Amino acid sequence: MKNADPIIRIQNIDKYFGTFKALDNVSLDVTPGEKVVVLGPSGSGKSTLLRSINQLETIDSGSIIVDGHDLSDPAEDINKIRMEMGMVFQSFNLYKHKTVLENLTLAPIKLKNMTESRANEIGLSLLDKVGILEKADSYPVMLSGGQQQRVAIARALAMEPKIMLFDEPTSALDPEMIGEVLEVMVALAKEGMTMVVVTHEMGFAREVADQVVFMDEGAIVEVGTPDHFFENPTHERTIKFLEQIL
Amino acid sequence: MAECDVKKIDVGDGAAIPEPGDRGMVSAWWIALLGTIGLLIALPLKDPSTYGRVLAFIPDGILVTFEVTILSISLALVIGLLTGLGRISKNRYINLVASLYVEVVRGVPLLVQLFYIYFALGRFVRVPDIMAAVIAMSFCYGAYMGEVFRAGIKSIDFGQSEAALSQGFNQAQTMRYVVLPQAWRTILPPVGNEFIALLKDTSLVSILAVSDILRRGREYAAESFNYFETYTMIALVYLLITLILSKIISIMEQRLSHYEKR
Repeated sequence: MKNADPIIRIQNIDKYFGTFKALDNVSLDVTPGEKVVVLGPSGSGKSTLLRSINQLETIDSGSIIVDGHDLSDPAEDINKIRMEMGMVFQSFNLYKHKTVLENLTLAPIKLKNMTESRANEIGLSLLDKVGILEKADSYPVMLSGGQQQRVAIARALAMEPKIMLFDEPTSALDPEMIGEVLEVMVALAKEGMTMVVVTHEMGFAREVADQVVFMDEGAIVEVGTPDHFFENPTHERTIKFLEQIL
Repeated sequence: MAECDVKKIDVGDGAAIPEPGDRGMVSAWWIALLGTIGLLIALPLKDPSTYGRVLAFIPDGILVTFEVTILSISLALVIGLLTGLGRISKNRYINLVASLYVEVVRGVPLLVQLFYIYFALGRFVRVPDIMAAVIAMSFCYGAYMGEVFRAGIKSIDFGQSEAALSQGFNQAQTMRYVVLPQAWRTILPPVGNEFIALLKDTSLVSILAVSDILRRGREYAAESFNYFETYTMIALVYLLITLILSKIISIMEQRLSHYEKR
């Protein structure tokens, strides 16, 4: 699998917030079907890295190529590229004025010119998949955090993306709801979806990741398989981080 | 932050809008409504030769008042949306033009603006009196409405925009499909307030030969000398209209909040 051409190629990117260097010469390749889990203390730049991939943050130098499209090329249509990447946020960000089903169908109808009946069909099957079919006509505010996050995953999948980006998807959830969201993510991983996941869930990283990336102070410190990472970490900062977490 | 913005735009210069739960205001609304209707019926019955005759003058005035109000508010909403978008625009020239417009309009009294646009416009083009009035009113209210739109748009959590952008919506689509529909709920109370304030301010156009309620009343008063009776009836008619409108707005507000209820 490592021999396949990368679907995401990040090369030497830097990102500043004012004078603060949020990303420091970061490079990372993600091959199709690969699951990359990004770990690190808060403020280490892992969310910024993830958000750079779909240009919710613009980088200051380096290059990001997604499925052959160079994000820094002004001739590329970023909106088109974003359609190929689903994103799941820490705070769910479901469209509050739309029902659960409408949350799933809005983008396919408006952006892919899908008919409403076809979009509903796909939407309902995705809701079924994430186990929340009975809430199709509810508004997001009526749902628990875990339910909202599952809807958010379904909403991203409704665009039939090639890549899924997860930005701390369980960090805003009550402990008893984390499991139901992780379950959906594990199922998605097993289907072969390419996933980049920023999380603090070590169990998920161990079970699902092909590649674990450890970041600190805006830089990638260590990359490896879960076995390598959790059993034989080489870098001092990684060891310290794991001691604090586990 | 967001909540603070909403509170700031909550009190306008329109009528008091009865919120359910504000019991004092709800009772006051009912007392005012019944009192107004009672007086509007009782006074003409008691004294048909004065109060009764005023009533005959008022209906076409009401139509004109509504015509000016509705045309002006429609135009003001369009101007307000553009101004609001301009005020949050990252393009500094668009931002500057929108800000300048708001600054100038807010600094000049409405009555002066009315005269200015009416007579200044009259020097170059011949427009019907009502149109001149509508242009002047909406030019002024568009600036206030722009501030309402700006606050409403800014009150929507940025995560909503990010979600839309991440799905591939462009900026305009994000605004149209995700931000504005939600902002509309936030700005409805202040927009309703502006609507009522505008309706009351249309009484100023009676100075520009537009036959609204006030002007029709003045015409009657001037020939009959029944000033007290005339202005009593005019005040009651305005009060009745604003009371009903404030109720309609309060009902619309509750309808629109359906997705916020648990």
